[in-house]
Amino acid sequence: MDREQALIQRAQKGSHEAFAALVEEHQRYVYNLAVRVVRDENEALDLAQETFVRAWTALPNFRGQSQFRTWLYRIVTNLCYNRLPTLRRSLNDLGDDVMEEIPLFDNPAHEIESTETRKYLHQAVEALDENYRLLITLRYQHELSYEEIASTLNLPLGTVKTGIFRAKEQLRRSLAHLEESWITV
Amino acid sequence: MDNRLKQDALIEDALTSYPLAPMPRDITLNVMAHIQQDTRPVIVSWRDFVLSFVIAACVTALWFATQNLPPILLAKIRIQGILLYQDFLVNARWMVPATMLGLAALLAVLSIPAMVQMTMKRR
Repeated sequence: MDREQALIQRAQKGSHEAFAALVEEHQRYVYNLAVRVVRDENEALDLAQETFVRAWTALPNFRGQSQFRTWLYRIVTNLCYNRLPTLRRSLNDLGDDVMEEIPLFDNPAHEIESTETRKYLHQAVEALDENYRLLITLRYQHELSYEEIASTLNLPLGTVKTGIFRAKEQLRRSLAHLEESWITV
Repeated sequence: MDNRLKQDALIEDALTSYPLAPMPRDITLNVMAHIQQDTRPVIVSWRDFVLSFVIAACVTALWFATQNLPPILLAKIRIQGILLYQDFLVNARWMVPATMLGLAALLAVLSIPAMVQMTMKRR
């Protein structure tokens, strides 16, 4: 049994110390997800805190079918839905019309990238709509698979793929803008 | 390299290198304080003892009073009670819905502090 599993079991039996250790371990990720969606530090801290309080209450029902961290992400996204009522609808409205496989790159971009481009794209990610930010954060920062994202957000797999594809399309357009500005300069 | 592929590689690189947001402060202590606050004692509190003692004392006092009153006084009380009830039936039927509405309003007012507390907790 790994350390986290042992902590979860102790916390389920009511150990505050074990739960505190779990909070310490996961708070950074829970906060990150909240702040990427709501874009407000204080609100994100509130959401992260509320997530752990709810997790404590619901912990006896956690049976370990999913990973503990994805279970926490489910709680925090539900809280985000409460704060941003349009988020749930905008995710559902994505549809699942993208059939194209999203390519994976193993070639590091260091040969072509520049720090400025990277910084520019990071800003472009922050400017994306909340539904795209949520999907991108879960996929790239929290390294969840498409299936895990679909299960966490309770969305069809196709919708998740469509959302990430469209988010990347928006980033591609931002990048094209940047490249055009280079040419005109 | 094709421009689209180059763009894809740049985007992929930017996404994979997108850093986690730094936490402004540790929330462990706040979370634990909340959890400890929420834990309610399972044992009966001293307030429950006091309340049950007062109720028991009132019931006992009432029982003793009725046992020790002279029979003539008891009969008078009964007659007054019947007269009051008759008077109520004739002149004050409106009091039934008024009392019900009043009770409902009272209960609604009593629930306000609890709801305010819940809202504050949510924040």
